[in-house]
Amino acid sequence: MKKKPTTLAMVLAGGRVDELNVLTYYRPKSAVPFGGFARVIDFPLSNLMNSGLEQVAILSQFRSFSLINHIGSGAAWDMIGRYRGISVLPPSTGHASSNWYRGSADSVYQNIDFIRYHDPDCVLILSGDHIYHMNYQEIIDYHKAKDADLTIACLAVPKEKAHRFGVASIDDEDGELGGRVLQYKEKPTSPKFTWASMTIFCFKPEALLATLTDNAREDTSFEFGKDIIPRMLADQRRVYGYKFHGYWGYTRTIEEYWQTSMDLLGPNPPIDLEAWGLRTNLEHRDIRDYQPLKIGPRATVADSLVYNGCVVEGTVERSILFPGVHVKPGAVVRDSVLFFNNTVESGARLSKVISDVNTSFGADSAIGGQGAVGEHEATVLGWNNQIPAGSIIGSDCTIYPHLRPEKFGREIKNGEIIR
Amino acid sequence: MNPISKTLVLLLAGGVGSRLNLLVQSRAKPAVPFGGLYRIIDFSLSNVMNSGLTQVGVMTQYKPLSLMNHLGNGAAWDLAGRSRGVKVLPPRTGASDSDWYKGTADAVRQNIDFIKAHPSQEILILSGDHIYHMDFDQMIQAHRQKKADVTIGMMVVPMEEIHQFGAGITDADGRIVEWEEKPKVARTDLASMGIYVFDTKYLLALLAEDREEVDFGMHLIPKAIARDNVYAFRFNGYWRDVGTVQAYWQANMDILSEDSGISPEAWGIRPNVEASARMADRCPARFAATAQVKNSMISAGCVIHGEVVNSVLSPGVVVHKGAVVRDSVLIDDCVVGEGALVDLAIMDKRVRVGRNAVVGSGDRQTVNQEFPTHLYTGITLIGKAAQVPDGAVIGRNCIVAPSRLAHDFPSLHIPSGATV
Repeated sequence: MKKKPTTLAMVLAGGRVDELNVLTYYRPKSAVPFGGFARVIDFPLSNLMNSGLEQVAILSQFRSFSLINHIGSGAAWDMIGRYRGISVLPPSTGHASSNWYRGSADSVYQNIDFIRYHDPDCVLILSGDHIYHMNYQEIIDYHKAKDADLTIACLAVPKEKAHRFGVASIDDEDGELGGRVLQYKEKPTSPKFTWASMTIFCFKPEALLATLTDNAREDTSFEFGKDIIPRMLADQRRVYGYKFHGYWGYTRTIEEYWQTSMDLLGPNPPIDLEAWGLRTNLEHRDIRDYQPLKIGPRATVADSLVYNGCVVEGTVERSILFPGVHVKPGAVVRDSVLFFNNTVESGARLSKVISDVNTSFGADSAIGGQGAVGEHEATVLGWNNQIPAGSIIGSDCTIYPHLRPEKFGREIKNGEIIR
Repeated sequence: MNPISKTLVLLLAGGVGSRLNLLVQSRAKPAVPFGGLYRIIDFSLSNVMNSGLTQVGVMTQYKPLSLMNHLGNGAAWDLAGRSRGVKVLPPRTGASDSDWYKGTADAVRQNIDFIKAHPSQEILILSGDHIYHMDFDQMIQAHRQKKADVTIGMMVVPMEEIHQFGAGITDADGRIVEWEEKPKVARTDLASMGIYVFDTKYLLALLAEDREEVDFGMHLIPKAIARDNVYAFRFNGYWRDVGTVQAYWQANMDILSEDSGISPEAWGIRPNVEASARMADRCPARFAATAQVKNSMISAGCVIHGEVVNSVLSPGVVVHKGAVVRDSVLIDDCVVGEGALVDLAIMDKRVRVGRNAVVGSGDRQTVNQEFPTHLYTGITLIGKAAQVPDGAVIGRNCIVAPSRLAHDFPSLHIPSGATV
């Protein structure tokens, strides 16, 4: 018999990540468009739905509007019903707590009342920033089987990349499944172990509340990776690592965002949206109202993902087009990701470009690097830019949102930042 | 104050549309999928929404399940809310009324309680069968301005087609002075679109006069014209009754051409993506490196490895490597196997075409033997969930009934005009 949910999920969606600069100028990273129609946060939300976890809180601080709009009623992820719900919890003023969220752990700490009210057996805390497919029920089962205070989902990463993550050493208690966390280091300069934390935490509520309370009393830093995990280890609490063996896409930099997007393409893409059961809120930006993609008589579309509402009359290769993109006759778009309502005029050539919403590329403009895609970095454009006809913009450029046309009066060389 | 519309909408959605053959075997004509994402009735409902009308009764009779499911609570057309609503009005038994709807006027007459429960100044009567874009508010304003009892939406058609319509002859003021239902000899080119605005009190009185008068076009409209103030409201633009296989195919193809005048998105036509369990969570259409697509509409959830030319694909259609789809309409989740050819076909949901099979081969002149008036232009029709075996060759003007599997095929070669 289905009863009240025993797991409360809390999604950390407040962060703005500076490396994604112009894409997170007006929205938190979790609301960044991904995959031709969705947002990054749709991945954890769909995972929650597909794991049968439907009591969810979203902790949001930075530029919440886009995110709140996107979540809507939660019906898109079936999170509306008697025991199903999604609550956006922004920072609030009040008797006890009247601060901005000072860190990921603080955002949870300031909502202790919310956790107590729901009285769960398990608090699942997730980052809203990653691209992956996971049945959270499995980590919860492992967590409960181990009677752990905290279980961290971990992924093996190459040693040379480990310095960018929180990394753990995990013993072989349960082989490929997981084991006890022996040590943990947040972004070590010379990493000795390579099980990276995926920012997916299963907490026993009393252990979480006690540690958050201690931390708030004794520390001035409030991060799960930097503060809470080490504190729990120091307190001799039962901390376990759950080993994840699937795909994990991260989008911390523009180049990573581009690479993760390209993982949607090819004959056997590592990211299989269909098999993963990804859902998004079709009411956001009214994407449900677009007509089917229209492909013109002389168009070419190959190795690409294109959503309803696009019109392709030119050439599109190895690219991802969000709803409302119009590629006019003679235009060429390669190795690019174009967000909602971009227009590419006749004769324009885009190569390895990431372009935020409502940007247009004038006729015969040439944007992005020449030559093989591996040899240069992506050029990224913020929203609402009108690139004049005939403009030339090189590779690895950053164009800030909504610039005046005179900013484009000259050739923009590789690596330039225009603001 | 948000003005609440004073006009009640009655949408006649009971039509069988039998000339659409297999497409209406398990659904009413208004529920037939169209243009990739839509159903025919979406055009009428969206016009209602875009005209600011908020109360709709939908009269159903023939196979209404698909239609009822599609309507849902009406939220897709902004018809859910305190002063808004869409109600399905099927025939029912009761103390005095216990019949199937005998005609358009009879359907309205049997729902007088619904009309009285939603007080209105005018009643707009529409059919859910047509592909068009129209602002009903303009028509209602014209009706009020003329102080008309009835206003009829009319458009100019070629003289040689007038015999399919109710035809009206108007005076200089736009008042209809003469009416001919499906005239053999054309005297006017002004045809009725089956769209009527009635003064509510007038309609109730008219319906009460004679219960034997069951049809608007045949009975009530000629009577009103002879006696009262009936005006024409002229409509210019794209309007199609997609009541035949050929017209249905042509209207789908019209969306592909630049100058046909039909554009669901520009018209603000809204589908109900929630009605289909799978439509809402379709991923973007995926094009493999081998894909070649020209002049086509492709919906989300399609996967294209082969070639698609001049075709309309609904969500979830898969075209495998080396397969070619040409001049065709493929409804949700059809799969075209490797090396197969689909040429001039309409395939209902979940049809599977086996490897190297051909659908649409040979001459277009041999009409369908069973339904010569339905299939005569070369189009082959494949019913829901039918499976065309690997290597089979199916001719033109053929019919494959729904759910036919390999063992139902008498041979791998189905000649033009045959039915499986």
